[in-house]
Amino acid sequence: MSGTLGIKAARIAIVLAVFALWEALSRAGIVNPRLLPSASETFAMLGELLQRASVRNDLVVTASEVATAFVLAVPIGTLIGFLIAENRYFAEVVKPLLFFAFSIPKSIFLPMFILVFGVGFSEKVGFGFFSTIFIVIMSTTTAVESVKVEHLTVARSYGATAAQTAFRVYLPSMLPVLLEALRISMIFNLTGVILAEMYASRDGIGHQIATWGENFQMKQLLAGVLMIGAIAMIFNELVRWVETRCSHWRT
Amino acid sequence: MQPLANITPLKPAARAGAVQLAGVGQIYETSGQDVVAVSDVSLEVRPGRFVVLVGPSGCGKSSLLMMMAGLRPQTSGTILINGASIDVPDPNRVGVVFQEPSLFPWLTAEENVEFPLTLRGVSRKDRRIKAEEALQLVGLDSFGKRHPHELSGGMKQRVSIARGLVQDPPVLLMDEPFAALDEQTRMTMGDELLRIWAATGKTIIFVTHSLTEAVYLADEVVVMSARPGRIVDRLDVALPRPRTFEMLSGDAFGSLRDRIWRHIRKSA
Repeated sequence: MSGTLGIKAARIAIVLAVFALWEALSRAGIVNPRLLPSASETFAMLGELLQRASVRNDLVVTASEVATAFVLAVPIGTLIGFLIAENRYFAEVVKPLLFFAFSIPKSIFLPMFILVFGVGFSEKVGFGFFSTIFIVIMSTTTAVESVKVEHLTVARSYGATAAQTAFRVYLPSMLPVLLEALRISMIFNLTGVILAEMYASRDGIGHQIATWGENFQMKQLLAGVLMIGAIAMIFNELVRWVETRCSHWRT
Repeated sequence: MQPLANITPLKPAARAGAVQLAGVGQIYETSGQDVVAVSDVSLEVRPGRFVVLVGPSGCGKSSLLMMMAGLRPQTSGTILINGASIDVPDPNRVGVVFQEPSLFPWLTAEENVEFPLTLRGVSRKDRRIKAEEALQLVGLDSFGKRHPHELSGGMKQRVSIARGLVQDPPVLLMDEPFAALDEQTRMTMGDELLRIWAATGKTIIFVTHSLTEAVYLADEVVVMSARPGRIVDRLDVALPRPRTFEMLSGDAFGSLRDRIWRHIRKSA
């Protein structure tokens, strides 16, 4: 994360203040502690949950669904996006249609996924894939468009082969946009998979969160929220770190 | 930057090439209609000469340059560089300097200059030596590790020139290389280019919109007319070298520039 020492300190202070406020509201009884268990109790519960074999199993299930959907959606979406962007006629025909499709909330298709795949691994992966692929396709077309014609002409004038142009011009030009796309796709992917788990599932962390909510187990519920929040942020920051390293030349 | 007084004399053994155009034409199709971009251009440039192409916008001077670079095929006529036709880009015979932005922003200045050698699989060590030489030639030897966004407009174009020269091609083609620069930088770059030209003895073909720049730099100015682009006049610039700032206000300079202007006004 960027920023001077002072800015960093301010950020940490805000996070600490939020947790302190949470703790105080709950302890003082200003908010019903049954609706908002204190921060310290929630963190204690988080530690306890992470010890449980069932919760760990749920995390593994969700992680494998997310990972499978991701490794399918990213390369396939990139390929489709690339093919669309490289062919001008095709791009003009297809791009508005993609924008239409992208504007539809993906969640309304979830019942269809359940009917087609049944409740299970393939349904979660399928829906995760579906939630992710549009943003991957659209980001890739943007990435291809970010390649400057001048750079391609330079490569050609110095006799670059097709492979050299791909690896020495296309890839470095596109990399910053692609990495950003990767990051945003993961947000969509995670949302898709967890939503599918919450809606109908036998396992997975999303299913657990839904169950805790239905049973009014607020401590577990909030601990689950913290857990998924932390996992999502870690992935996001990792990709952002790679991003800044790869796009230092962008101004 | 070297002052003008220290100009390295033209090296007689320098690698320079001849450029010969005979009946070159280019027709392209747009919405079902044929447009004649360039028509029947014949031109002979002796090795080591500095020739400038001028003309109104859309006269095909850039198209002509792209054809000489092997980047665009001509519809008719022949183009010979060093006695052989050029159907595809050949960096061993022709170096090209484009208008901005043509440097790769993710590479350092040095790596940009090395780029043509990298494509040919030259070893890292040899690349570095060549790139250093080329950067030294353009007066940027201490800026090799900088990225383009850390360089001024003029410096970027010098890196571009170094990249064009790194393979020691006998002919250097320049497509409005200083058009995006401010007036002062543009004048300085003109002097720089003349110094580099004198030091390397290359054949240079230079496209510009600026009549002052054309007369200031050229041995010969080739004036083209708009659609179809054809040669309407060729002027020998007999001004002595090194060219100086004072010549700009002289009568000889003025009359050459006026002659070009009259052609352009007529055709625009």
